[in-house]
Amino acid sequence: MDQKLIRNFCIIAHIDHGKSTLADRLIELTGAQRRNKNIDLVMDSMDLERERGITIKAKAVRLNYAVPSGEVFRLNLIDTPGHVDFSYEVSRTLVACEGAVLVIDATQGIQAQTLANIYIAMEHDLEIIPVVNKIDLPGSEPERVLEEIETVLGYKEEEVLFISAKTGEGVEQLLKTIVKKVPPPSGDPELPLRALIFDSHYDDYRGVIAYLRVVDGALNSGQKVQLMGQGTHMEVLDLGYFAPEPRTEEQLRAGEVGYIATGLKSVAECRVGDTVTLTKGGAREPLIGYDLPKPMVFAGIYPAQADEYSDLREAIEKLNLNDASLVFEPESSPILGQGFRCGFLGLLHLDIVVERLEREFSLSLVVTVPGVRFLATKTSGEVITVTSPADYPDPGEIQKVEEPWVKISIITPSNFIGALMEVVQEYEGVYKHTEYMGQFKAIDEAGQRVRLEYEMPLRSMLTSFYDYLKSRSRGYASLDHEFLGYREAKLVKLDVLVNELKVDAFSRIVPPHKAYEVGKAMVAKLKEVIPRQMFKIPVQAAVGGRIVAREDISARRKDVLSKCYGGDITRKRKLLEKQKEGKKKMRMIGRVEVPKEAFLEVMKLN
Amino acid sequence: MEQYAGNFLARSVYFGGGTPSLMSVNQVEGLLCWIKKMFTVQSDPEISFEVNPGTVDYGYLADLRRAGINRISLGAQSFRDEELKVLGRHHTSAEAMSVLDSARKAGFDNISLDLIYGIPGQSLDDWHQTLDRAIKMKPEHMSLYCLSLEEGTPLMEGINSGESPLPDPDISADQYETAEDKLGQNGYCQYEISNWARKGRECRHNKVYWRHEPYLGVGVGACSYINNVRRTNVSDIFQYMAACRGPFGAAVKEEEIIEGEVKKAEAVILSLRLNEGVCFEDVYNPAGAGACQHYGQVFNELTGYGLLESDGSLIRLTRKGRLLSNEVFWRLLPD
Repeated sequence: MDQKLIRNFCIIAHIDHGKSTLADRLIELTGAQRRNKNIDLVMDSMDLERERGITIKAKAVRLNYAVPSGEVFRLNLIDTPGHVDFSYEVSRTLVACEGAVLVIDATQGIQAQTLANIYIAMEHDLEIIPVVNKIDLPGSEPERVLEEIETVLGYKEEEVLFISAKTGEGVEQLLKTIVKKVPPPSGDPELPLRALIFDSHYDDYRGVIAYLRVVDGALNSGQKVQLMGQGTHMEVLDLGYFAPEPRTEEQLRAGEVGYIATGLKSVAECRVGDTVTLTKGGAREPLIGYDLPKPMVFAGIYPAQADEYSDLREAIEKLNLNDASLVFEPESSPILGQGFRCGFLGLLHLDIVVERLEREFSLSLVVTVPGVRFLATKTSGEVITVTSPADYPDPGEIQKVEEPWVKISIITPSNFIGALMEVVQEYEGVYKHTEYMGQFKAIDEAGQRVRLEYEMPLRSMLTSFYDYLKSRSRGYASLDHEFLGYREAKLVKLDVLVNELKVDAFSRIVPPHKAYEVGKAMVAKLKEVIPRQMFKIPVQAAVGGRIVAREDISARRKDVLSKCYGGDITRKRKLLEKQKEGKKKMRMIGRVEVPKEAFLEVMKLN
Repeated sequence: MEQYAGNFLARSVYFGGGTPSLMSVNQVEGLLCWIKKMFTVQSDPEISFEVNPGTVDYGYLADLRRAGINRISLGAQSFRDEELKVLGRHHTSAEAMSVLDSARKAGFDNISLDLIYGIPGQSLDDWHQTLDRAIKMKPEHMSLYCLSLEEGTPLMEGINSGESPLPDPDISADQYETAEDKLGQNGYCQYEISNWARKGRECRHNKVYWRHEPYLGVGVGACSYINNVRRTNVSDIFQYMAACRGPFGAAVKEEEIIEGEVKKAEAVILSLRLNEGVCFEDVYNPAGAGACQHYGQVFNELTGYGLLESDGSLIRLTRKGRLLSNEVFWRLLPD
């Protein structure tokens, strides 16, 4: 195919703004697939993606579009993950495209994460086609959204398309616009092969399947190739494209998008962002700097039943074949037993991993409070990284501690500004900037939409921050964040002692002024959930050696079956047997029996 | 039934559970006559009869006495009318007192009172009042039960809906300890977790259960324990009546052979309910009657918690241990 007839593009959209519906409509209109009511949204292939309305893995679909003049264009639609946790994947997907369709919901307007992705697309010089979707809905406000696009992104009215992916209105026009505006790929077919990996997944039969965009040269089935960044060598076992089902081809040429089967055992050997070239006569320079997404959020994952540890290990290893950004190492806790300390790209990534472990491997898990990675400089000058509160050095050993900060961007109707500013400040946010997203067409009673910019410790974001943000804005506010770097922090480790014994699983890293409040809440919760025992149990929260909060669980005095005659004996014995069974399920903190549920409740406490 | 006749010596008879006073005295006499015909009955047996206040008069009680009944167990429950109302009882405290008076006049010199503590809304002072009134009437025996709340009962529904307060277990514990002190000061000796008596007036019949000795239960829902088998009859009256016309044993709903570790555990648990306790030898000597391998260790642990004490020959619950006896008992069950 003539390179001039190829268009590579992706869709940028917020969750539920209609990306998958639009993709489905494009596929239908170009005849790649007959409309099938059962598989409405073909781009979301994982069950989990479909259920959560998010796209975790990018895929590519080849569409053939014939314009009235008779020319047939080849459109490669590359799907992008929409969530900020996967911004590294987004950026690599965008590099594989020349254009992006920006979809904005006519009932909602621009959302914070969408904005972040648009900026990445602009950085990579993509041709952006702004589209206002869902104009068929009764609550849609296309004019207000248009004004936002004009004000925030600087597009003119005539550049913006108004469509309904659901009814198909305006989608034909969108196809024409893509062909007209998105430039054809510019690579050189005569140069040595260079292809960019923008996604990969592990297949039980064919090993790692890598999705790539050939930039220069051509890639043939059976060729020996290597990754320029990682140095991995492999053979192209199979090669092809999706339409949307896989189709084998002999060759992918410059400008084309497709997949290769590599036979590799793990996606870790074939990372997104790396450049594929030929082993013999390959290119000298990779396409872009190849990077490893760094885990930002850490949590312990333990099996609910201690005997499921080896199952958990197997499950995590298997999941890791498909998800190279998940890092893990064995960890053990006196109370939770053996498990893993895992690193994730963000909270959503954590949720997805836990849900997949539970669903695909039928495991029941205990997940500890998520935290960040701290850098602690000891008085000896040694710098250590701390991802678990249990490893946090004693106050006397610490020279300084640094923690990750993020820039956050909140888009909200102006009526909620006051309430949200309060929330952000409570969570240690530092105000930076306010931007109004429109001027006159704000007819909504919640007021005109505004973008607020703050900087805050990532640690604060991992708590109930998002829930508060949503509830204080009646669900309107959207949030995006971006890693800024490490900054010096004033933090202390808050320990919880049950009957004088420190419980690692309950330790937290908090700012000193919050130690009292958090400690008090935790001991109060423990008092509520730990059943009374035969002796008095002090429950304390401490910073270093200093007790900041204390509650006593008084000794239980009465546990007696007062009536026990001839007819009662069997039944009462059965009650005692039940009591004995219940005791077996208890976890022990020293000699204090604590139900597992109690642990979870305290760990969940924000 | 005949198969038991002669093999066992009947030392006591107990009419109870339900409302035996619904029977005519003639029926009671007939039953006693039949028992004496079928079994060898020890001379001077204890023959108890349960009575609910408000259901009997002096004449009935006098007839019972003449028929051979020599012990009355009176379900007084409380001597405070508002508590009786909470419990859903239809009698008043005045009626309970009058039945006791009538029983005395009818010639009963062995009377037991049942009282309940741990009632929603019942304070420590309220309980003192009931105990004082009970002591004043000089019964020979008292059984004190903590109210057990069962799901589905009107009382529990009242608590769930917030109409009645949930009884505070610490107040119940105070009430129990108060009773221990008060009854002790007034000449009652505690001989079991829930039972007190004047000297020599312990209920002989009930001690059979705690000593793991055999008993024969007759009637709807009745339970027997003979030759290491515990049998429970059906609890439906019509089913029971139909079964009575059938072969022997047709009325049995459940049958359990009590043997091995379970038997040992039951024996030790039931004996520990008694203040006399359990024989040291039985527990520590692996060949002893109640021995389980791990008992030595468990008894040491429980002694450490202050729930058990021992004088070298007998092991018994402490005052604290009686209130926390389930903590002792479940540890004695086999794995």
